[in-house]
Amino acid sequence: MRPPVLRVDDLAKRYGATVALENVSFGLNAGEVCGLLGENGAGKSTLVKALSGVVTPDHGEIHLKGDRFRPTSIVDANRLGVSTAFQELSLVPSLSVATNLALPDAPRNAIGLVSGRELRQRAEATLAQWGAADIRPSDIVDSLPLGVRQRVEIIRALARNPSVLLLDEPTSALSDREWLFGLIDRVLKEGVSILYITHKLDEIRRLCRRCIILRNGQKVLDQAVSEMSNDDIFRSMAGRSAVEQFIAAPSSARPQEAPALEASHLTGEGIEDISFALQPGEILGVAGLEGHGQGPLFRALVGLHPLHGGRIAVAGTARGLHSPRVARAAGVVLVPEERKTEGIFKDLSTIANISVPVIRRVSPLHFLNRQRERQLVEQVIPDVDLPEHFLPLPITDLSGGSQQKAVLARALVLGARCLLLFDPTRGVDVGAKQSIYRMMRAFVHEGGAILFYSTELDELVHLCDRCLVLYRNHVAGEVSGGTLSQELVLSLASGQAAQAQPIAAGSP
Amino acid sequence: MMSLATRLRPARGAAIAVLIYLAMYFVYAISEASATSVFAITNLLDNTIVLAVAAAGLTLVVLTGELDLSAIGVIAIANVVVATTSAGVLGWFGSLVAVMLIGAAVGLINGWLVVGLGLQSLAVTIGTMIACEGVALVILAAPGGEVSDTIANGLTGDIANVVPVAAVIIIGVLALWFVFARTRLGIAIYAVGSDENAAGLSGLNVRRTKLLAFVLAGVAYGCAGYLLSAQTGSGDPRASNTFLLFMYAAVAIGGTSLTGGRGGVFGSVVGAGILTVMQKMLFALGAASFYTNVFSGIIMLVALFVGNLSGLRLRRQRGAEWQSATPRP
Repeated sequence: MRPPVLRVDDLAKRYGATVALENVSFGLNAGEVCGLLGENGAGKSTLVKALSGVVTPDHGEIHLKGDRFRPTSIVDANRLGVSTAFQELSLVPSLSVATNLALPDAPRNAIGLVSGRELRQRAEATLAQWGAADIRPSDIVDSLPLGVRQRVEIIRALARNPSVLLLDEPTSALSDREWLFGLIDRVLKEGVSILYITHKLDEIRRLCRRCIILRNGQKVLDQAVSEMSNDDIFRSMAGRSAVEQFIAAPSSARPQEAPALEASHLTGEGIEDISFALQPGEILGVAGLEGHGQGPLFRALVGLHPLHGGRIAVAGTARGLHSPRVARAAGVVLVPEERKTEGIFKDLSTIANISVPVIRRVSPLHFLNRQRERQLVEQVIPDVDLPEHFLPLPITDLSGGSQQKAVLARALVLGARCLLLFDPTRGVDVGAKQSIYRMMRAFVHEGGAILFYSTELDELVHLCDRCLVLYRNHVAGEVSGGTLSQELVLSLASGQAAQAQPIAAGSP
Repeated sequence: MMSLATRLRPARGAAIAVLIYLAMYFVYAISEASATSVFAITNLLDNTIVLAVAAAGLTLVVLTGELDLSAIGVIAIANVVVATTSAGVLGWFGSLVAVMLIGAAVGLINGWLVVGLGLQSLAVTIGTMIACEGVALVILAAPGGEVSDTIANGLTGDIANVVPVAAVIIIGVLALWFVFARTRLGIAIYAVGSDENAAGLSGLNVRRTKLLAFVLAGVAYGCAGYLLSAQTGSGDPRASNTFLLFMYAAVAIGGTSLTGGRGGVFGSVVGAGILTVMQKMLFALGAASFYTNVFSGIIMLVALFVGNLSGLRLRRQRGAEWQSATPRP
């Protein structure tokens, strides 16, 4: 067997105290597509950046075609034969497609000026060569739909004639995935090696013979795809199912009452005709792989994402929840995804973080009554198991789990009737997870309702009464009670059960 | 094919500025009989040119997404240097080279502090502005000095009594800009200001681009100080104090985004022209001079509003397109 084109040995990278990559080693053969899977924060992006010359690894070696590969910059990496289509897209918005394709070294004419005509001709040729003759080179990138921008990003990477191509979530906005798959098949025949990063299992099965799974910065699996079930792959990515315990509890849902939150035919950017009815006492799960509409849905329910159509009703009454403030007044509270940027006020104490929504109520004549503040906060902190002595501390001194408890306490402090929890256990220790599960159980037992999105399927399976599964921005199916299993949820979420499900997605 | 409309799109703000300029000049011309004489035009352009050249330099920095307040400090130094050396040791050419080098040096310091140390450009250039004004006072403590006649006469008159020298200089600045905008550095300046991260991932050298923008801007400020000296005929370390906000007004009226990536020197030069012709227009209409700033402010707000309208429309359109690009069942 020939030596691999790209060989990574014992790669490591830290950002401060955070370990992004550790002991990562693998090889990539000529003419091979290798899948790279992992949850958010598993180290995929850092690995891509290390290979493309954007970050310098702290430790370890990379060899490209037998030579030591230490790119000092992205240009250097390109020159040596590694090019990347980035997930966040690296096109410059205010420049034309043609100029973007030519960066960083646009063609110059005899007197050293960038030649507009040559720029355009080259771009036309490049676009035609990669099956994108419909894209106009003169269009400003800013004015193009996201899907077209992603195609240009991919073409720019391909046009650099790499021997190793890194594709980071290349289909997140693509409407025509077959276009990309066709190009991949084409360059593979020319002996290009591809590292394909994705969340989508169907793409892994379609393209890759082998896949690597990262978890917490380490390689946990490097195996032929055909030898693994979807569940195996999922378990390797999440890897926590064995540790956590779920206390079985009878459902406290009250189906006879008016729904605590009812959505009918919601549509908007990234939301396609989503309907559900959340009953008091119910935990309704939402499952979906990254970027299948869950983010926009949760934000839209509190007015943070524009809706183009559909109705929202709270406790049986139609309500326009135009802002988180209005939603809160109606008893609907979102606990957002990004704790650091959307959840906590990092310069405030823990008690101030919790009391923010009731600060008016405890400030007669606009002076803060600290005693009243403390009384209100102390009513809710036992629900989330937040020790009282944490209250005066700066919130940034608390662990991630305790911070999340404080954010949940804030949601409870105003007497919410309906909680929208977006991945509340991400980056939270096991103990805090158990507290959060207990809080959820207690909340619904008292008649509250929870819409619960989690990236961890075992949580959904064990905590939820029912679970909506999103795929490509709409509800691909609903699983409930006894049929609720990780396998079924996963197959719906990755579009595998498309054929079996009458309401599932076909090709675009 | 690249249509004319597509080519002009980035210059939409500048087009609005040109229309405003023409409208004001028209009002000025019909209300003041002598407005179209060579003398009046020369006078108008002389009044424009210092602001135009300084705003041109500022535009380069603003396009990269940074801010620069050091201009008035550099202009002050340049002015006192020309007033103390051009009639003596350095002569007209030597003093021109000197002020360009001084500008480049200040730009280099600004650029190094911003890209090398990662300091905020606004804060850095406030510091260098104050320091430079201090240096100007050290060189020449009180108004005075003498600007060489070659400069004072050569840069303010007409060529053969027909073509104002200022017009030649402005055309020269614009020509330089149109060439510069088509160099790799010119493209990089737009790219860096538009999206620094994307520019870096596209392989452009973000730090070098910003550094060079500061240096070139400094050179332009030096030249602006030289031109100011030609007009005042003497040195005054405080002569440039009123320029700063008008420079930013000229840049903004000309359609350059103060957050970078959009606009250009052409618009800023027209913006400087607007601020000058407006004074003439108001004077010709008999408005008291203290109304000038009221109008300057309103013009700037109108220009921003109109420029922003097209941006809003684009965003809305893009939103609709985005939706059609997402996969459908």
